[in-house]
Amino acid sequence: MSSSSRRKTRWFSDSEPTRRDAGAKAAVGNEPLIELKEVSLRFINYADKQYSLKRAVLDLVLRREDPAPVSEFWALRNLSLRIHRGERVGVVGGNGAGKSTLLRLLARIYPPTSGQVVVRGNVAPLIEMGAGFNPELSGYDNILLNGAMLGYSRREMIAKVDGIHEFTGLREFADLPLKYYSSGMYMRLAFGIATEIDPEILLIDESLGVGDATFRDRAKSRILKLLDRSHAVILVSHEMETLRQVCTRGLWLNRGELRADGPIDQTIDQYLSWTREVAC
Amino acid sequence: MDVRADSSIPHAEFFPAPPEPQRPSRWARRLADDRRELARFLPVIQNLVVQELRVRYQRSFLGFLWTLLNPLLMMATLSWVFSYLFRTIENYTLFLFAGMVPWGFLSVSLNECALCIIVNEGLIRKIYVPKLVFPISRILINLVTLTLSLGALFLLLWPLGARLSWPVLLLPLVILLLAVFTLGLGLAVATANTFYRDCGHLVSVFLQAWYFATPILYRAEDFPVESQWRFRINPAYYFIDLFHDVIFAARWPQPGSVVVASAIAIISLGIGYVIFKSQEDKMVFRL
Repeated sequence: MSSSSRRKTRWFSDSEPTRRDAGAKAAVGNEPLIELKEVSLRFINYADKQYSLKRAVLDLVLRREDPAPVSEFWALRNLSLRIHRGERVGVVGGNGAGKSTLLRLLARIYPPTSGQVVVRGNVAPLIEMGAGFNPELSGYDNILLNGAMLGYSRREMIAKVDGIHEFTGLREFADLPLKYYSSGMYMRLAFGIATEIDPEILLIDESLGVGDATFRDRAKSRILKLLDRSHAVILVSHEMETLRQVCTRGLWLNRGELRADGPIDQTIDQYLSWTREVAC
Repeated sequence: MDVRADSSIPHAEFFPAPPEPQRPSRWARRLADDRRELARFLPVIQNLVVQELRVRYQRSFLGFLWTLLNPLLMMATLSWVFSYLFRTIENYTLFLFAGMVPWGFLSVSLNECALCIIVNEGLIRKIYVPKLVFPISRILINLVTLTLSLGALFLLLWPLGARLSWPVLLLPLVILLLAVFTLGLGLAVATANTFYRDCGHLVSVFLQAWYFATPILYRAEDFPVESQWRFRINPAYYFIDLFHDVIFAARWPQPGSVVVASAIAIISLGIGYVIFKSQEDKMVFRL
């Protein structure tokens, strides 16, 4: 069972010993940073997620056929695309179109059901902020912990602590356990850490409006700076104006399938005219 | 845009090395992948371990004493009750100590490993961390506790005749073997409990039974020769026996039993690793 899935699914990361490059050395400079080859991702809805051994045994003993009716759902279907250095890709589509799933796939949270994903470079996911925060620990320790999860060593993160405090203004609370932070402070810290690093590939999910008004402005400018530092950006948003400003290339996903791929304005226009058609 | 443009480079150019037989090369690659990933995520393990320990021990000054209190009370009660039964064992308290502390490590580690993936659900669904990190850090945390309580209890038992001897030099090796054995079981248990949520309960019941089947409260030698096989088929027996040798009896263990224990530890780790890795990708969908 696992052998067949292994054959179908291959994951490469930047640090994989690049035997592939040996063959195609000439192409190294313009190799795409992200390459998806016929990637599909299936979610299985287990009617009973908390499947237990007790049930498994009962089902076996009582010979119950298909005890927990499962429904499957293809979040991504046969997706192939390449994203090169310097591209800023905006992803549009309705709810449940697979936009966030695509980001999670690229962040390695979900493995593809079939197909191949190649990611060359370190990935910074601004998908869910504050992942891995430990409420018992101080703000400072959480910066180190979060940094470690993003792939930065303790020393590298200690060098970044100042910059994070500078931005969040939480320096005086650095030694306070995170559980005493207000939710706004919590978000600010998470945002500050996620945007302090220097990623090669940046994944951003929408709803980055954090904190009060003054903070939101600074957050926006900080994101724009981060965009400039990263080699490739994939941005998921419902705000078409932001996408038009920031991105160069647009992808339109519908029910897990790629409907359009082209310059951002063109994709957004196609998408908007389609939504208007559907609405009528 | 060159979307859906398939690579024109033939497959053979990607892999110039002659294809190896599939099975070994797949696991060899997984091992190499994991080694690299774990090296990269070493700071995460380090942070998880250090901070868990700090939360556990720094918050309350008594934190460490509490972890000592459990084995201490158990040992006091058991030695009071059973020392009449097992008069043949001289210094029964020390005997109990040598077996119970490592057993405590095994059982707490397994119970924690069973939950380690589920408890970190929020993390696993939000950010990529190799899932091996969780069982490994549980084991490391308990390893620290084991070492500290071995040391502290040893000092407490000094008046009762606990003495250092040369065979104690083997203690690090014995602890390492036990940790490897426990990690293997922990990986298997973590996988099982992620897919079947009631495995955790089974694990604690099973551990209780296993505890009594292992010569911790009694000596295997006190049983008739014809029932010795019951201990021989119990993998935990070999590890506990090594602890008895090194701490209680102060004699060098038989080289044979060290070899057997090492073999069991490695087999356990191998099986646990294969089980864990073959299901690792599916775990996130089951959380």
